[in-house]
Amino acid sequence: MKTLTIILTGGPYISEDAQMVFRIADAALKRYQVNIFLYLDAVHIPHLGQNPAFFADEGELFKELAERGAVIRACSRCAAARGYIAKEDGSSQDYHDGIKISSLYDLPKMISGSDGVISLCR
Amino acid sequence: MRSAFYLLDSAPYGSEKAFGLLNAAAASLGEMEVTVGLYGDGVYLALTDQDSKGLGVPNLAEILRAYSEIRVLAHEPSVMDRGLFGEGLVETVELADEDAFLEAMESSDCLILV
Repeated sequence: MKTLTIILTGGPYISEDAQMVFRIADAALKRYQVNIFLYLDAVHIPHLGQNPAFFADEGELFKELAERGAVIRACSRCAAARGYIAKEDGSSQDYHDGIKISSLYDLPKMISGSDGVISLCR
Repeated sequence: MRSAFYLLDSAPYGSEKAFGLLNAAAASLGEMEVTVGLYGDGVYLALTDQDSKGLGVPNLAEILRAYSEIRVLAHEPSVMDRGLFGEGLVETVELADEDAFLEAMESSDCLILV
């Protein structure tokens, strides 16, 4: 099976990027292994308890992707800077299950093991 | 993927983008061939004698110097457009004209924007 890695840098709701990533990953999971690396403000996306009035809860969307097999990792430096603390296994009490905080060194590992890479930023 | 081209088109200070891009590029060094391309306002990152102390953030030119294994290309037309041609550039930075810049992007396995 081929592997697709998606890199996202924007936070939830400020743009449509997170929803676009959800749609791309949703389609890709039917044929590919999907990795998603959350960088910079994108580490806010898996935050629990979001309650947007007019949009889909993007944390829930990404949780669904993780449940379907997407490997979703958030940069530890970016997460720590924004107040998200990782437990030893990379999970966080502030994050949806299945989405982990990990080292930035996981990003090049994801890229080098991929057949395609998409990066979205603003 | 054996090579990555990290493209920066925003100024080095005022957002986390340049710092984030340099960190990601440096982290990629052991795994693949890395090129950083400075385009548009991104070329300001190439200027030597940066002093970021007043901003309370790291001096990004020093980070660029510290990772001399990273190939850094500054888009020459962007440098010219900003009147920076006579300014000192960090010694590891290569000037690349339109064709050379495009060639470096095309020859990399993936293009990453931050």
